[in-house]
Amino acid sequence: MPLIGQLALALALILAVYSIIANVVGARRSIPTLLASARHAIWAYCAMVTVAVAALVISLLRSDFSLEYVASYTSYSLPTFYKITALWGGQQGSLLLWTWLLSLFTAIAAFQNRRRNPEIAPYALATLAAVAIFFLGMLNFVTRPFDMLAAVARDGQDLNPLLQNYWMAIHPPSLYTGYVSASVPFAFASGALITGRLDDAWIRSTRRWAIFSWFFLTLGNLFGARWAYEVLGWGGYWAWDPVENAAFMPWLVMTAYLHSVMIQERKDMLKVWNLALIGMAFGLTLFGTFITRSGVISSVHSFTQSGLGPYFLTFLIVVVAVYAALLIWRLPKLRSPAEFESYLSREAAFLFNNLILVGIAFAVFWGTLFPVLSEAVRGVKITVGPPFFDTVNAPLALGLIFLMGFGPLIAWRRSSLDSLAKTFASPAIFGLVTGACAFVAGLRQWYVLAALSLGAFVLGTIVVEFRRGVGARRHLVHESAPAALVNLVAKNNRRYGGYIIHIGVVMAFVGIVASSFFRTEIKKSVHEGEFFQVGPYSLQYLGIETTETPHVETSRARIEVRRDGKPIAMMLPAKLFFKRNQQPATAVAIRSTPAADLYVVLAGMDDQTGLVTFQVFLTPLVFWLWAGGVVMAFGTVIAMWPNVRERAAIAASLRAAAETPAVDEPLRRRA
Amino acid sequence: MSRLNSGRPLARAALLVALALALAVPIAVRAASTVTAQEVEEGLTCQCGCGLTVANCNHPNCEFSVPARDQIEAMLHRGMTGPQVIAFFRHKYGEKILSAPTTTGFNLLAWVMPFAALLGGGIFVAVALGRWRAHPDIPAPAPEPNTASGGDDELRRRLERDLREGF
Repeated sequence: MPLIGQLALALALILAVYSIIANVVGARRSIPTLLASARHAIWAYCAMVTVAVAALVISLLRSDFSLEYVASYTSYSLPTFYKITALWGGQQGSLLLWTWLLSLFTAIAAFQNRRRNPEIAPYALATLAAVAIFFLGMLNFVTRPFDMLAAVARDGQDLNPLLQNYWMAIHPPSLYTGYVSASVPFAFASGALITGRLDDAWIRSTRRWAIFSWFFLTLGNLFGARWAYEVLGWGGYWAWDPVENAAFMPWLVMTAYLHSVMIQERKDMLKVWNLALIGMAFGLTLFGTFITRSGVISSVHSFTQSGLGPYFLTFLIVVVAVYAALLIWRLPKLRSPAEFESYLSREAAFLFNNLILVGIAFAVFWGTLFPVLSEAVRGVKITVGPPFFDTVNAPLALGLIFLMGFGPLIAWRRSSLDSLAKTFASPAIFGLVTGACAFVAGLRQWYVLAALSLGAFVLGTIVVEFRRGVGARRHLVHESAPAALVNLVAKNNRRYGGYIIHIGVVMAFVGIVASSFFRTEIKKSVHEGEFFQVGPYSLQYLGIETTETPHVETSRARIEVRRDGKPIAMMLPAKLFFKRNQQPATAVAIRSTPAADLYVVLAGMDDQTGLVTFQVFLTPLVFWLWAGGVVMAFGTVIAMWPNVRERAAIAASLRAAAETPAVDEPLRRRA
Repeated sequence: MSRLNSGRPLARAALLVALALALAVPIAVRAASTVTAQEVEEGLTCQCGCGLTVANCNHPNCEFSVPARDQIEAMLHRGMTGPQVIAFFRHKYGEKILSAPTTTGFNLLAWVMPFAALLGGGIFVAVALGRWRAHPDIPAPAPEPNTASGGDDELRRRLERDLREGF
């Protein structure tokens, strides 16, 4: 199996190199058979990487401890499910997963474009293959997943206990899917720059890829936060760790991109900015990988001592330099007719939305790298932690939420103050009333009041927009209100899917603000049978049960939760001890309701005194963070759903592109 | 149009004030906070390698954060102020124990740079928009009456036009 895997990776590398040559030569000399051969090479390289992944998974399942990777990240007693997830539990396996996803997406892009985008697609596919060559080069020559041990290990070292959790089973693949799928729009942008096809065909062709990437980046970040919440046992979900920041930054830039492309599609403006944004998003995915694997910045995440940093840094610099050079080369051809009438327009709102999103991304980037800068300049190691990121980003987040309500309702081109007053009167009143109610209810933190008011304002604008849309549809086609609502969303899924995403963002924002400001924490040591009070809940410790499997020893406390004297739940926080790697871990118990999460950690046990210590957090509204994530996912699926009108627009765009000569005709015709 | 043009300097000034306020708010927030044990713990980074603050370290028997919390509590109880407690830990462990950069010297750059970049970006966007508005590359078509004046009917007509392609 290891030999098959290694051979498959070597063949994949050769095929990827061939696909670049065939695509570029085939495009320059207009040889359809060579272009077809390049596509076949891409599909074959995808098949080879799939074989390598299958070989590693089989080795993991078989506990083949002749393989260094299997011995390092699994053990005989590790449950089968985690033997599979160990594929991304270590350095080499996670790089292999990354490469596999890249090969899959390249193969899909090659299939999608076998009859369309004849000029851009070959260069886009060549760009994707060039990225794959870097990763395949790593897997073949630098960090090999199929390296053998000198002697077969008797048992493996086991998977890190923190990774033995179902959220870790889906968090890395989601995040990697988001990272890697950003390569496709980037590759098509590169193809557009190389060929001079600088209209919006590349944007329309990859719009769904961009949303797909954003969707998985969203999920990846949320799953990671949920993992931290359930596994790390500190009651929080986001610590501004460098690796978390590295996942957050591409999400921010991709969000900016998804908004600004609307201006290009609608008004043919911001071509340079959109090309720059997609380049930034891709560069940040590489930067994230560099951060995770270089050890340049200390992080709680793994891989940091891998020594791959110089390779990734070199690759990152080359990618950024080449892309920037292409962009500068094409600048004269990227000038678009700028038609702008008023600051009170949707264009202006979207531009300021972009400014804030990229501003937050820069603040996170700057804070993440500042310790390195400080050490280089002053020779002093410093920490840039949550207080910095919270303080810097908090006001920016408010601005962003405001624009989220303001932008979609304001007209393109220009609006008058009269129409603004008409449009925003109800949402603004709703926002102010919400803030006033919160004040009367006793809240005094200005940030919380502003966040609640703005959240209500945004929800108000969305309700207004839906109400107006339903009204307009009823006026046009005389439908019932429910039918009009369903058809409105179905036939304008991109627009209304976006509004649903905004609802999810507001829900998540309110959850984050409330859980950050009002979390309470107590630590209590009790004997069996004793009660202690946490907020409105009375908790009674009923004892500890110990269970044991060949893999893990579990001490599970039983706590009965009462409210107003009535039992409402039994909570079972536990301490785990993983036998193979001799490491302890915590399994928290969470009782989640829309009002608040009761979060119980079994913090310690004293066998001599019989005292058991619990750390308990009562976190209001954190439920809405996760619920907001679900709503965002739902809205994204709606926005991504195939739409007849959009297909027609893509077809028209591609037809127009085919009829217009490219900027760099000789590149295309030099046969 | 003339009314809009006369509002440009005002709009720019408003933008600058807004961005300046954005710059000032975080500093004000930091200065206004009253110090509790929890806040002192938030200001210090745990040295066990967890990467979290002393307040949030997730290791139940952590060799650093557990005694540090007790020590902070005791120091505050003895009448020391929050800054004094933080200064004590900084003297003992160095600047790396602070969970955020100080606001003096080179470290000030950490705080100022994000807002300076935002301010620069904001000015750039405002100037670019102003230039596009003053000298559009192509003649602007006649304004759409339904977007320039108010009225529910007009708003509905605008929406109907936006949506019509979807019906």
